[in-house]
Amino acid sequence: MKRELECVEIPGEHEARERTWAVVQAAYAEREPVPHRSPLPRVAAVAVALAALGAVALSSPGRAVLDGIREVVGVERAQTALFSLPAPGSLLVASDAGIWVVQQDGSKRLLGAYREASWSPLGRFVVAVRANELAALEPDGKVRWTLARPGARSPAWTGTEIDTRIAYVDRTGIRVVAGDGTNDRLLVPGGRGPLAWRPGAGFVLAYAARGRVRVVDAETGELRWQAARPPGAATALEWSSDGRRLLVLSPHHVRVYDAAGNVVEQEDPSEGWPDVAATFRPHSHEAAVARVHGSQSTAYVLGGRTLFNGTGAFGDLAWSPDGRWLLVTWTTADQWVFVRADGKRIRAVSNVAEQFRSRSSPRVEGWCCAR
Amino acid sequence: MPAGRDERARVRGAQRGSASDLEALFRMHWPRAFRAAYLVTHDAGAAEDIAQEAFLAAIRALDRFDRRRPFGPWLHRIAVNRAIDWARARRLRSEVELAESLPAPDAVGAPGDDVLAALARLSPEQRAVIVMRYLLELTPGEIAEALDLPRGTVNSRLRRGLDALGEEL
Repeated sequence: MKRELECVEIPGEHEARERTWAVVQAAYAEREPVPHRSPLPRVAAVAVALAALGAVALSSPGRAVLDGIREVVGVERAQTALFSLPAPGSLLVASDAGIWVVQQDGSKRLLGAYREASWSPLGRFVVAVRANELAALEPDGKVRWTLARPGARSPAWTGTEIDTRIAYVDRTGIRVVAGDGTNDRLLVPGGRGPLAWRPGAGFVLAYAARGRVRVVDAETGELRWQAARPPGAATALEWSSDGRRLLVLSPHHVRVYDAAGNVVEQEDPSEGWPDVAATFRPHSHEAAVARVHGSQSTAYVLGGRTLFNGTGAFGDLAWSPDGRWLLVTWTTADQWVFVRADGKRIRAVSNVAEQFRSRSSPRVEGWCCAR
Repeated sequence: MPAGRDERARVRGAQRGSASDLEALFRMHWPRAFRAAYLVTHDAGAAEDIAQEAFLAAIRALDRFDRRRPFGPWLHRIAVNRAIDWARARRLRSEVELAESLPAPDAVGAPGDDVLAALARLSPEQRAVIVMRYLLELTPGEIAEALDLPRGTVNSRLRRGLDALGEEL
């Protein structure tokens, strides 16, 4: 049987190998290796931790400490499966298995082996990318169209019921294509993003450029405004739902710009803790931010109240379309925590990675519109 | 299954930034990842995407990879799981059934076409266990762990798959 399986002739195998090697090589060249640590301190740290845990476990106060540890790393009374979402709309989730759509009743569908995705403006379609392809899909997985685009990433869809555009990044730069897959063109040669469409009329795109954030009319190429962006690589851009505020996130800085490019809100934590996610609450200019500080993480309203604290690292944030619930992905606990906007109620779901057939923590790509 | 010394050294080298070690790992493991994905999906384009994605996932996880574990089976597991998902999604999209899209047995001529046609009559899940057992040479226990299935299910899928292949071949 082995010999027979090895004898199956696969068309284009050699070419496929060389194409893949070129992509893998490029991805490897972009990677920044993590400085290697000697295993000795890690072993010592584990030994110390085990000794400490052993000591506390011997006494009844120690038992209380252990119970406390169990409580803080994850919400204890979390549901074991995602039975439903607390608000109308559907989630788009990226896991090692691909892109999933989660409906409000908790039912999930794997759309395919894509790695990033975004909702269309009305939530009727999904644009998704994999290594060599940009694809428009229906939420049930039907493929509407595909474009072969090596290195495609960061897809974003905007527009109205009658006319839409998709922006994405590939090896040539930032490109724009009509929602039906036609008229694909290069908008920003060499542009790498991140990028975000301004909601509302027209096709206005914001993107991070070298040292600046630029806002352009994607139809004419006209520069609407540009401003200095915070230091460090921008990790996310997002417009408020009225298109009057633009949020730019980099690992240690949050900036909010008004419609003319003036900074109206900013936060640069002096302790140097990273902000890992930030997102506007729908129909408001209030932004939620997730910050990891030491062994703790906090989700808070920019310039305001704390929404949720936990031990370990948070990952993504996503507001429900009605703005009443904030989803916080708690990667260390492998939980999703839905926090009500007033912070007075939470719902948690555990075993998230397993539910999405993933080794790593699934990413929330969007929570879209109730249809 | 412990990782071979050469493979461990290559993984360590790649973690430290050696492109030649990465290339050695690629040349060593891509062919099987691609072949496994193709035998499950029967689509060369999808298999290319899947094997490529598996390698890109490996690069993303390289710094966290435990060198004591074998690299190849880990990579192949990603590829096969993605291939199953792809084949399932294709089935859900009500595209032409795989069996119908393959050339008829009397029209085929390329080496291995009869095996391919026989495999096409199995479900993606059955194809996956056959490929993992006989191409990737994993034990039923390893397949069960990789696919998150009870070992008995793996054994029954193997048995049914082999019976069906035996009839076709």
